[in-house]
Amino acid sequence: MTTVLGTPPPPTLPGTRTADVVTGRRRRGRGLAHLGFIAPAVLLVAAVIYYSVGYTFWLSLTDSDGINPGAFVGLDNFARAVSDPTTWAALAHSALFLLVIPTQMLLGLVIAALLHSSVRLKGLYKVVVFIPTITATAVMAPVFRQVFAADGSVNDALETVGLGGLTQAWLGDPSWALPTLMVINVWQWTGLSFILYYAGLTQIEASTFEAARLDGASNLRILTSIIVPMMKGTHVTLLILGVMGVLKTFDLVFLVTGGGPAKSTEFLSTYIYETTITRFDAGYGAALSVLLLALSLGFTVWQMRRYRRAGGAGV
Amino acid sequence: MFELRTRRARLFAQLGLTLLALPFALPLVAMLRGSLQNEGWANYVVVLSEPQFGRFFLNSAIMAAGCIGITFVAAMLAAFAFAKLQLPAKEVWFYGLLVALTLPGVMILVPLFLTMQTLGLLDTYWAVILPLAAGGIPFSVLLARNFIAGLEDEIFDAARVDGCTTLGVFLRIVVPLSRPIAAVIVLWAFLGAWNEFLLPLLFLTDADLQAITQVPTFFTSFYGGDQGKVVAASVLITLPVLLMYLAMQRFFERGMTGGALK
Repeated sequence: MTTVLGTPPPPTLPGTRTADVVTGRRRRGRGLAHLGFIAPAVLLVAAVIYYSVGYTFWLSLTDSDGINPGAFVGLDNFARAVSDPTTWAALAHSALFLLVIPTQMLLGLVIAALLHSSVRLKGLYKVVVFIPTITATAVMAPVFRQVFAADGSVNDALETVGLGGLTQAWLGDPSWALPTLMVINVWQWTGLSFILYYAGLTQIEASTFEAARLDGASNLRILTSIIVPMMKGTHVTLLILGVMGVLKTFDLVFLVTGGGPAKSTEFLSTYIYETTITRFDAGYGAALSVLLLALSLGFTVWQMRRYRRAGGAGV
Repeated sequence: MFELRTRRARLFAQLGLTLLALPFALPLVAMLRGSLQNEGWANYVVVLSEPQFGRFFLNSAIMAAGCIGITFVAAMLAAFAFAKLQLPAKEVWFYGLLVALTLPGVMILVPLFLTMQTLGLLDTYWAVILPLAAGGIPFSVLLARNFIAGLEDEIFDAARVDGCTTLGVFLRIVVPLSRPIAAVIVLWAFLGAWNEFLLPLLFLTDADLQAITQVPTFFTSFYGGDQGKVVAASVLITLPVLLMYLAMQRFFERGMTGGALK
């Protein structure tokens, strides 16, 4: 394909922003034929996701066991969900778990900024921080169960440095299991924050920093007054992805603690799994799913609106 | 970024960075060491000569390939249309796709299971490929749309004057110019499929169809207390992911810059 240099651009009227860039046609048929381009994506998503979500809504109004249709029970499942202490415990665990998001963002941003400075072995650090993000939770779960076991490496390390008093059965103690899962989550997902910030930072012009430095700004000042505000779009992206990630958290909990001990790490997602798959209580599981969906969707819409109102360009 | 004028400042930054990065490396080191317990490197030989391991590996590779293919084609076509073409009710379609991004997979397990059963797709690769592709498409469309929107409009004008059809523009201009974002989509789709745990567990009951992520569980019951073999298998599972990331790293970062941050 050769580009014809010097071809004058077709005349475009100011304000006709609907003009089609590729065909140059304006308004005729309003691009009906172009629907073919989005058809594969839209049809697949509609058939798999929208259909299933609709199905879940319907199931939530029945006492289905997941195999047979079951009878219509109205809003009984929702009434049950609201008075179920496990639902509230699961929500409380998710709320606490949200703390991993700012932790991951802060760590990712600092590491990204340091890697944009004149340090050595950049490639190595980059790979080390990003490997956890691309590693399957199913693969790391047995490793972490061992690392945090009563006779695991974390306790060994504590003994070695003379902090033997702090040793725990990290995953066996109801008050420590959730924080331990949070540590593993930070380990796994800081890489995503890092890579997005790293990519974002390459887009800030070097002259911005030079100007700040001429004004006598310190490194800390540059971080707080230039880097942090300029990465706003990335913060929002990571915040939305993070909250959705927390609400979706499943593999980690399922494979490392299974929701225990004593339900201390139960999440809505693992509770849905347990209800639906283990106890064949699909109607109730569907009602819990609808609650989870409402939370997830509500948050995302709220965030996107807030960001748009603030003048952002979209996620 | 940070100005490190003195040697001491540089040393300090390097040290700080190392302290921050070390916790990320330690579990990986623990994993490598764990894979060598009892019989050392022989663990790897045992795992590799286990026919089930090769079988699971192949199954995951097939599912990943299917998932990548579908996601790539569907997402690139849609992203091109959203970025550069006139579409009726464009916003409606676009946000309709984005909303699907927020859905936790676990909430649609039962409907999916029943649908796959009705269609006779249970215990076939499709039972895993289709939901994974559908789940991955919205994020890929979002990334690719932002990237393609950043391409200069003048190239399209020139192509049109040359008599290129819309599909021709897509195939001959958009696809070649979108390599960085294509790398992101391919890597993401590969990760999603290769690392998926739940769908193969529930939708593939035939032991010969199982995915690679079932290996740790499968080998734990198989080798019992010999954790070395289980962890060695885990290392081998991670290897393709790591190699793929390293091979695409450069494209990947450029794609992230153009796609995720616009």
